[in-house]
This record gives sequence, structure tokens and C-alpha cells, in this order.
Amino acid sequence: MSNKRHMGLRASAHISNTLIYIVLVVMSVVWLIPFICIVLQSFRVESTWQVGYVIPQKWGWDNYVALWNSDFKRWYLNTFITALATAVGQTVFVLCMSYTLSRFRFKMRQGLMRFMLVLGMFPNMLAMIVLYRVLKDLGLTQANAVPGLILVYIASSGMGYYVSKGFFDTIPKSLDEAARVDGATRAQVLWKIILPLAKPIVIYTILTAFMAPWGDFVLARYISFGTSAGMNVAVGMYSWLQQDMIGQRYTMFCAGGVVVAIPVTILFMCLQKYYVEGVTGGAVKG
Amino acid sequence: MASVKLTKVKKVYDNNVVAVHDFDLDIKDKEFIVFVGPSGCGKSTTLRMIAGLEDISDGTVEIDGEVVNDLQPKDRNIAMVFQNYALYPHMTVFDNIAFSLRLQKMPEDQIYEKVTAAAEVLGITDYLLRKPRALSGGQRQRVAIGRAMVRNSKVFLMDEPLSNLDAKLRNQMRAEIILLRQKLNTTFIYVTHDQTEAMTLGDRIVIMKDGYIQQVGTPAEVFEMPKNLFVAEFIGAPKMNVMRTELKKDLNGGYTVSPFGVKLAVDGGKSEALAAKHAPTGEVLLGVRPEHITLAKEGQPGAIPCTVEVNEMMGSELHLHVVTEDGTRLIVRVPTIDLEPDQRHGLQRDSRLYITFRGKVMHFFDPESQENLLN
Repeated sequence: MSNKRHMGLRASAHISNTLIYIVLVVMSVVWLIPFICIVLQSFRVESTWQVGYVIPQKWGWDNYVALWNSDFKRWYLNTFITALATAVGQTVFVLCMSYTLSRFRFKMRQGLMRFMLVLGMFPNMLAMIVLYRVLKDLGLTQANAVPGLILVYIASSGMGYYVSKGFFDTIPKSLDEAARVDGATRAQVLWKIILPLAKPIVIYTILTAFMAPWGDFVLARYISFGTSAGMNVAVGMYSWLQQDMIGQRYTMFCAGGVVVAIPVTILFMCLQKYYVEGVTGGAVKG
Repeated sequence: MASVKLTKVKKVYDNNVVAVHDFDLDIKDKEFIVFVGPSGCGKSTTLRMIAGLEDISDGTVEIDGEVVNDLQPKDRNIAMVFQNYALYPHMTVFDNIAFSLRLQKMPEDQIYEKVTAAAEVLGITDYLLRKPRALSGGQRQRVAIGRAMVRNSKVFLMDEPLSNLDAKLRNQMRAEIILLRQKLNTTFIYVTHDQTEAMTLGDRIVIMKDGYIQQVGTPAEVFEMPKNLFVAEFIGAPKMNVMRTELKKDLNGGYTVSPFGVKLAVDGGKSEALAAKHAPTGEVLLGVRPEHITLAKEGQPGAIPCTVEVNEMMGSELHLHVVTEDGTRLIVRVPTIDLEPDQRHGLQRDSRLYITFRGKVMHFFDPESQENLLN
């Protein structure tokens, strides 16, 4: 290859890289602007109303203190309990279901998997009225919405087995067999051999199970039905955006948004390595 | 140490495919038995039924006189080495070997003693703190054997344990398994598709095809007296040459054959053996192993003319693929020491040569049933 041609290729690679970086930087800025605005507004203390500028004139923790002294504390606890219980329950259900479908062969196994696939295609919204009636009969709505929500989130979670099963399928069955010959029971095989090897998918399952109730609005609003004691943060904070409230609570709303985002952000930053491995785990046989 | 008895064992899969048909076998205490056969012959399925990893559709498996059909693998007192080693990737070599002992709730000091003793025997002491991914294929195989060793099981099962190793390492590990067997002095059941492994390791060999046992015998028995054409061709490398010919009786009552129009006497006791079995004259399949064919001189009685098609130089011997005048292809194994110095690098393609073989090395099979006429 001539020197001139080599220089030409290098220059064109530089130009293409520069263009790519410009596009990526612009996209990042556009994506980050709302977050930055919310954080800045949460520290604004000169007015609780919406104002026509982004950078506060007076900074302070007033909004966070007001948040602490409001119903937000209760909503936050409700959300945390719901998300934590759902994460634990859903993870157990999903992993047991995935392990069973990956390792055991029984009559109608294929039929069951197909049935669950079809069932999962129906929008959740369709079941909402029925769910409300059932939960109301059980006394699990309004002030008791938290256990009601946990029950709904966990109840059908086994159907979301696809990703985990795909991951389990990549773990050689001979490991199970070797452990069984070594003296392990089926449960010991799962706990001592399979789960340590499936750490990425376990963490992925916990994260996704935690995230759904953490940010849920529609079902949570429906079940809590206007009772503050049963609301989660999304439903509770939404009430601050009503016409008569927004003027007094706008900056508090922003502070609430920041507080809600913090645990999830920390969780993702710590576990993102496993999350990526979990999502891509079954893609290529290792 | 235990005997293993399989009686009419059958395996039928859900799709009604029968993998193993009426498998009957008595394995003696401390015997090294090898199941050998091509892919899909049911050898691994049979081993897995003994291990308890496959349900038994029919028949019984007994270990040390106890029927184990309904026992879990952990309750059968067996140890197993898998084809892909099946080492637990998240555990160190020490933990891999100690896994079964910890499940038995053995005290840690005893576990340490047993694991280090096994590691010493297998030469893996330096790797005890490594994870399996940091080991070579041979080292992994040793760990897998170590894991099975520490359990002091009654029966040692091995499912193609050397098939993932390269040829050189396979030979080395084969020798190590022979030494291990001498040390452990227990009952071994070994599955392989490699007839060399079967011949070198087994006290007895079980040759299988399509789920049926073809022959059970010592390596010498299956080599010298194959029960049928399948066994004859499967055991021995390169495989036995087979040709159609007429089996005739001469005036003296002895048998003769005429492959490729050359009359050869069936001597060396084979004629008497055929007569004792009242073997009928007529068309037969004549089998001769490549190493039993010798080079002959032109004009020598019994010399069969042929031309060289392919040379395979193996070092100590030459594998000659030759074509007879009627177009039949044969393989001849010639020790290079028997060749003229100018022929030792191989014979020229299309060069003419003469071959012959003696009656005592001939095998006769029925063209219909393919059974050995001397059975």
C-alpha cells in the first residue's frame, strides 16, 4: 500500500470518528438535560413555583427537608417494601420455574411453555378490573394496597422465565449429573452448583423484579384508589402535579424525583457488569 | 468393589426409540469392562442407566446383589468420570474433589487428608488452589478422576473420558488409567468408541451396535474369533478386508477358497474347525486382517496380483491400499523393515505387486446372516 493511500485512510478514519463522537456527545447532552434540570430545581429555594430559568438563584436543602416532613416518607417506604418483596418473591419463582423448564422433562412441558408465551401476549391492562375486584374482596386495596400489589406482581412472575431459562440451558447438564452422582439432591444441585454459576442471571432477575414495582404507576394508582396510606411514590407524587398543588410542590416534586432515582442508580452502577452478562448470557454458547 | 448384573435391561425413549434392547451382562467384582461401539449404539445410555442418570424402561440393574433400578445416583455408591470432565467451574480443584465428601459431612481434616492423597497419586498437588479454567485438558481429566477416586465407590464408571484429549495425551492418560486401576483395584465400567482403548484397557469388551450386544469377550477373543462381520470390521485398525468367494471342499476333504481366481488352501487348523461345524460349501464372505496379508513374489503359489493405489507411511509400517484385477480394494499392513531400502518411503502409485495370505488367518462369514461360520 502506498504511503499516500495509507495517510488518506487514516485521515478518513479520523473524520469518521470525530463525527461519531459529535453525534454521541449531542445525544448525551439532550438525554441528560431533563435530569440536570430536575436536580437543579430540587435545590432551588427562592420559589416553589415553576420559573423561567434553570439555575437556581438561591440554593438550599429546603425541598428535601419538606419532603421528609410530608407523606413522601410513607410512599417511599411503601414503594421500597413492595419492590423488595417483589424482587425476592419474583426471583425465587422465576429461577425455580426456569430451572425446572431447563432441566426436567415432563409431559406437556412444551405445551406449558407455549401456553405461557401466548398468555403473556395479552396486555396486563385487560386483567386490571378483575384484579381490582379480587383484591377488594380480599381486603387488599386502598390502605392495604402494598400486600395487594406484592401479590399481583409475584403471582404471575413465573411466566417471565425466558431469559433465565436461556441462561440455564447454557450450563452443561453434565454438571448437574456429576453433582447428583457426587451425592447432591436436586435442591443442592440448584443451590450449590447452578445458582453460583448463574450469578449474572440471578442479579438480572433481582434488578428487573425490583425495577418494575419501583416505577409502577397505573396498577398502583388503581389499587390504592386515592388513599394516601396505600400509595407508592409515583402515585403520591403525581397528586402534587394537580392544578391546585403544583405551585406549592413543584420543587418538592423535583427533589422527590432525585431521591427516587438515587437507590436505583447506585444499584445499577454496582451491578451493571452482571446485568449485561445476564441479558446477553444465552446469546452465545460458551 | 462390587459385581454388577444387568438382566434384560431395555431403554425406550419418549419418542418410542429403543436405545438398548434386552441387555444381559454379568460384570465380576474388580473386573475392567469396556463398552465399545459406534455412535448411537447405546453404550453411554447403558452406562447412564447403571449410574441412575437414565430411567430403566425394563429389566433390572443389580450392584453387589441389590437391585438399584429405583435408587438415586447418590445412593448407588458409584463414581463417574464424564466425557467433558464436568468440573464445577466456580470451585477450586480442592473444592471440586472435596465436594462429595462435604456432602457426606465428613470432618474437614479427613477431607484434607483424602484430597491431598488423591492429588498426590494423580500429580495435581500443585494445582489444588486453581480453578478448572486454569488447567490443561489432561490436568482437568486428572481432577475429574480424583473427584471420583476419593469417594471409595463400589463401581467406577467412565464415559469416554479420553475423547476430548489430543492423541499424545490420550495415550499417556490411557497408561495412567491402567495404573490407576491397579491401585484402586475396583470394578470399572468404561465406555469408548475407540477400539484401541477398548483393547488395551478391558479385561472383557462388550461390542454394541444399534442397542444390541454383538459380542462379549476378552480382547484376544474378539480379535481372533469375531462373532460376526460387524465385530470383525469394528475391532482392528485398519479394518478387516472382506471379499466374496467360494468355499469348496477338495478331494482330501479339506476346504479351499479362490479369491480373485487364485486357489488358496484353508490350512492351519481352520479347515478342521470348519469341518467340525459342518460348514456348507458355497459363497462366503472371507475376511483377512491387513496385518495378516504378506507380500509375495510373482509366480509364487497363491500370489494375488494387484496395483498400488495409495501409500500411507506410518513410520514402522506402510499401509498399502491396493486394487486387485477385479477392482476389489484391499488394505495391506507391511512392516517397513520387510521392504527393500528403496521401497521404505512408499511404493510408487500404480506399481504392480503380489500379495498372499495363509488359511489360519482367514475368517469366514455367512453372506446372509453375516455370522462367523466357526461360531
